[in-house]
Amino acid sequence: MTRKLHDNICEEHLFASIFNKYSKDLHDFLFYKFGDRLHPKDKVQEAFVKLWQNCAKVTPDKAKSFVFTTANNLMLNEVAHQKVVLKHRQSKPKMHTNENPEFLMQEQEYSRKLQDALSKLTEAQRVAFMMNRVEGKRFKEIANLLDISTKAVEKRIYGALEKLRKDIKEL
Amino acid sequence: MNREKLISKWLDNNLTDDELLAFKALEDYDHLMKLNRELQGFKADDFDSRKEFNKVLSAIKSDKSKPKSHWYQPLLRVAAILVIGFGIYYYATTLDTTISTDFAQRTTIELPDASSVALNAKSTLVYNKKGWKKERDVELIGEAFFKVSKGSTFSVITTTGTVTVYGTEFNVKQRDNYYEVICYEGLVGVTYKSHETKLNPGDSFLIIDGKQIAKEKEIRTTPSWLNNESRFNSIPYKAVIAEFERQYGVSITLLGIDSTQIFTGGFSHDNIDLALQSITLPLHLTYSKENNSIILKRE
Repeated sequence: MTRKLHDNICEEHLFASIFNKYSKDLHDFLFYKFGDRLHPKDKVQEAFVKLWQNCAKVTPDKAKSFVFTTANNLMLNEVAHQKVVLKHRQSKPKMHTNENPEFLMQEQEYSRKLQDALSKLTEAQRVAFMMNRVEGKRFKEIANLLDISTKAVEKRIYGALEKLRKDIKEL
Repeated sequence: MNREKLISKWLDNNLTDDELLAFKALEDYDHLMKLNRELQGFKADDFDSRKEFNKVLSAIKSDKSKPKSHWYQPLLRVAAILVIGFGIYYYATTLDTTISTDFAQRTTIELPDASSVALNAKSTLVYNKKGWKKERDVELIGEAFFKVSKGSTFSVITTTGTVTVYGTEFNVKQRDNYYEVICYEGLVGVTYKSHETKLNPGDSFLIIDGKQIAKEKEIRTTPSWLNNESRFNSIPYKAVIAEFERQYGVSITLLGIDSTQIFTGGFSHDNIDLALQSITLPLHLTYSKENNSIILKRE
């Protein structure tokens, strides 16, 4: 039986390293799951403050699940579920300079359809899919974050992609 | 390799060079690229780990005192309940006890030390149970007969005067412009206008309209009203009428009658007609009765 190096995370450098390791993923997870209306950054902060308050009871390998569960519950407490609409960033740099108006309109139309289709995905599909496509995470990394198997992640992401394409075609 | 496998591998960023070529040859390649490009627009807000960590640190620092306060918070709750409980108990037990009678009503009160008070109609008695051991003070408005057991000074406080006793029986009557104390047993001191008068058994102290009136010895051993009767000995007629009104809950109007004339006699509390005759016949008056109002006239 190997002895653990640390049995709690009450040391500040340890706490800081846990924060650096998981805070962004936690934020993205909350963002893609609940959208930005419920202030995912505040929930990340609250969850880590709670982690610090309970630092004596939490071992380093439990810290990730602790903050993910805590932040998720904070979100759920805040709101009876409502439809999540991810906002499209307007600050996207323009790739073409002399686009004709018809093309611009088509682009806008497509973007609107995509937004609609994304909101129709299940929370689990959307989180895995966006982590993969936008945050560039591989299946294994997502599986570790969500505590599920790689196969399940693949299923969610592929399922999300098929559903999106179908929805966009129909709209 | 089939299409689904290729797309899955592409999603996992895991295509070999050969597979990449095959993937690019897929008919929906362009479509997938367009979707992928468009998706980047839905990226999550930027997350600055360093900035967010400083926020967490400052939140933790300003929160430092919180875990410390944990152990006594439940105690505070218990303490608050106890304080409220004692407050209510204290308030309830130190509250003055008030007993009142209405028209034609009578009651007997047992005081905490087994002294007893008989309260005549339309009277109020106020005393404090909590302070009873220290000082036996009762406030009286109206008329009452006291049987006081031996003990510390017993005082009956009225707006007109104060009666102080040490174990005795006496009657106090304090009505509008009328103050009468009759001692039946023991010794009674009546303080009126800061002058104390001692009453022996049978003595009485009577003030009508601010004037002290001498009265002959009382022979009875209890006040007449305890036997459902009101008796008067050389008392102004208006005081008799006022007592009658209290005992029967009626209003009496006098027509052409001198209300200050002296009356000796009494009336029973049981029969209003008999009682009316008792107070009218000796003065040669007649009465007419309608509901609760009675008119007295000369014959």
